[in-house]
Amino acid sequence: MSELDGIDFFRDQSVVADPYPYLKGLRDECPVRRETHHDVVMVTGYDEAVQVYNDTEVFSSCTSVTGPFPGFPVPLEGDDVSALIEQHRDELPFSDQITTMDPPKHTDHRALLMRLITPKRLKENEDFMWRLADLQLDAYFESDGEFVNGFGQPFAMLVIADLLGVPESDHARFADMLLHGAEHTGNIGSTGDDTLAHSPLEYLYAEFTQFVEDRRREPREDVLTGLATATFPDGSTPEVADVVRIAANLFAAGQETTVRLLGTMLKVLGDDRELQRHLRGNRDDIPNFIEECLRSESPVKGDFRLSRMPTTVGDVELPAGTTVMVVNGAANRDPRHFDDPDEFRADRPNARQHLAFGRGPHTCPGAPLARAEARVALERLLDRTSDIRINESVHGPAGERDYRYVPTFILRGLTKLFLECDVIEASPR
Amino acid sequence: MRVEVDDDRCGGHGVCMGLCPEVFDLAEDGYAVVLLPEVPPEHQAAVRAAANQCPTHAVRVS
Repeated sequence: MSELDGIDFFRDQSVVADPYPYLKGLRDECPVRRETHHDVVMVTGYDEAVQVYNDTEVFSSCTSVTGPFPGFPVPLEGDDVSALIEQHRDELPFSDQITTMDPPKHTDHRALLMRLITPKRLKENEDFMWRLADLQLDAYFESDGEFVNGFGQPFAMLVIADLLGVPESDHARFADMLLHGAEHTGNIGSTGDDTLAHSPLEYLYAEFTQFVEDRRREPREDVLTGLATATFPDGSTPEVADVVRIAANLFAAGQETTVRLLGTMLKVLGDDRELQRHLRGNRDDIPNFIEECLRSESPVKGDFRLSRMPTTVGDVELPAGTTVMVVNGAANRDPRHFDDPDEFRADRPNARQHLAFGRGPHTCPGAPLARAEARVALERLLDRTSDIRINESVHGPAGERDYRYVPTFILRGLTKLFLECDVIEASPR
Repeated sequence: MRVEVDDDRCGGHGVCMGLCPEVFDLAEDGYAVVLLPEVPPEHQAAVRAAANQCPTHAVRVS
């Protein structure tokens, strides 16, 4: 037994604080290696991760969010478990969400989603982001300096509300409902023992059901009407519930993840003042800096897949019914793909090849949105400050910082980040 | 080797640009464009990877 097998990636708090030595240990032994606590095959190599993500014939996404918790409802025996998966997939948590669907159903729902987040719509949404960033910074600069909840959460949430066309007059109510409602939704990928509700997003459903029904009855010239009247690729009209789920999923998938990215970016810049000075004067280098943040601290640590039939990944044979975790955060530190992967290099030439947004048909549809949010937020923060520092009375001195990370095996990022900002007068964009 | 992007399929994910920025870019409108339709030998492996990894199978090589 190797030392690695003493660690339970899905439960131990030590790997929450720093998962990378454990993941490197796995990859050094084999980039496709079974962990012993929950019988999950951990895919920690870059090429192997791409292979799994692209192979939707072999790998089902039915357990993509939950993996072995609670696991498949019946034993998966035999050389082809496709039929068993189809029989029982509806009993799994999140089975009504696009992340757990497979083609062809996934293809239809994905097409519906992509109608809502077109590049054109994103452009309009970005105009709103610039205004919103300033509004949220006004409030943040008056606060105790805690960035994750003080800026990140409301900013990321209201960007999605605007993307979906929620009128600005409803934003305050949405912020109140969602930022407080979030406490009751259960934690996806919690390292604790809380059980999962079947649909933790139900509190959003009521709002969007109302919006969609209103717009179908009385179409207007607005984004919600576009949402309400969008059709599947074959021209058929989705059930109201289908549209509502997709809207709700954008909040669920797009908020916490972007917040973690924002936290990582500011942590890096607070700790590396030279890099901060460089980016202040070289704004064109911001996009690659964001990519390197995504690579080095992937907000989604990984995603699960379930094999329908025997297959080979890398050099490893996997039987049918194997739960694999594709660990984005580990693939992004594979030394066969990224030189000196544990080093943060804001100018890393291939940073953008990271798998933080996954790959294949389930590639994060919100990636362009997250990139724009990160860029706009950082631009305005740099515009409106002359210096940003880590608050050492909370996080301790350089070299001995005390940072806390969200206690889940799915998300990677800070729970809180206290900054000190030297605020200056700046002209609006 | 020639490469093209199917505009009807492209979703603007930018995976191709990430894998081979010499051959692919994202245009003002957010969708992918091909900079070098005749792919030079040194970029052919990366372009094949882009075709393989495009989330919507919009990248085609021939």
